[in-house]
Amino acid sequence: MQAATPILSHFWAMVLFALFVSMALGCLTRRSIPERIKYAAWSFLLFLVIGIGAAWLMYPLSR
Amino acid sequence: MNETSNETPDHDSVSQPELHEPESALLASKVPSVGPLSIAFASWLIPGLGHFLLGRTGRAIVFFVAVGGLTIVGIHARGNVFPPRTADPFGTLGFWADAASGIFYLLARVLERAGPDVSRAAGDYGTRFIAAAGIVNLIAAFDAYEIAARRRS
Repeated sequence: MQAATPILSHFWAMVLFALFVSMALGCLTRRSIPERIKYAAWSFLLFLVIGIGAAWLMYPLSR
Repeated sequence: MNETSNETPDHDSVSQPELHEPESALLASKVPSVGPLSIAFASWLIPGLGHFLLGRTGRAIVFFVAVGGLTIVGIHARGNVFPPRTADPFGTLGFWADAASGIFYLLARVLERAGPDVSRAAGDYGTRFIAAAGIVNLIAAFDAYEIAARRRS
């Protein structure tokens, strides 16, 4: 029996990917906890901004 | 009133090993009995285990959650979990990337009952999530190895 395909929108896929990878990068690249949180938050934000920016740049190509 | 005098400390009367003995004893107690390669293997097998053995509990939790989260989302999106033997060279690369997530690769193989669905974008994303989990775990294993090697030296 074929299972129902779960819904994962492009946006939530991007958010979850950015969240998990930013967490790992923050822990790998910084030593103190505040620095890690700051780096992870900055990395997460950049993932989202660049992802959404690239999506808007490619939007005319989808028409 | 401050009990420490303004006199210049006599360096000859207090030897350096005595000053650093408690610190070195503390450091020695933290050095794991297992070698760096074993730490790296443990880190690969169960994400975060290597850091946990090294006393880095916070990092261990973060790596476990990050690798586990990426794999679970990948499975949920019905990404492709590459088998060990594939005719396609990219499939082999995919297998190595997936297998780097250790126990989560086995979990993905067991839980992938409905099979991959890469005909949809979500399934394609899922494939990348599972591969990314492996890469993150691989970097974490290298990090654990480096910490263990530095402590030993």
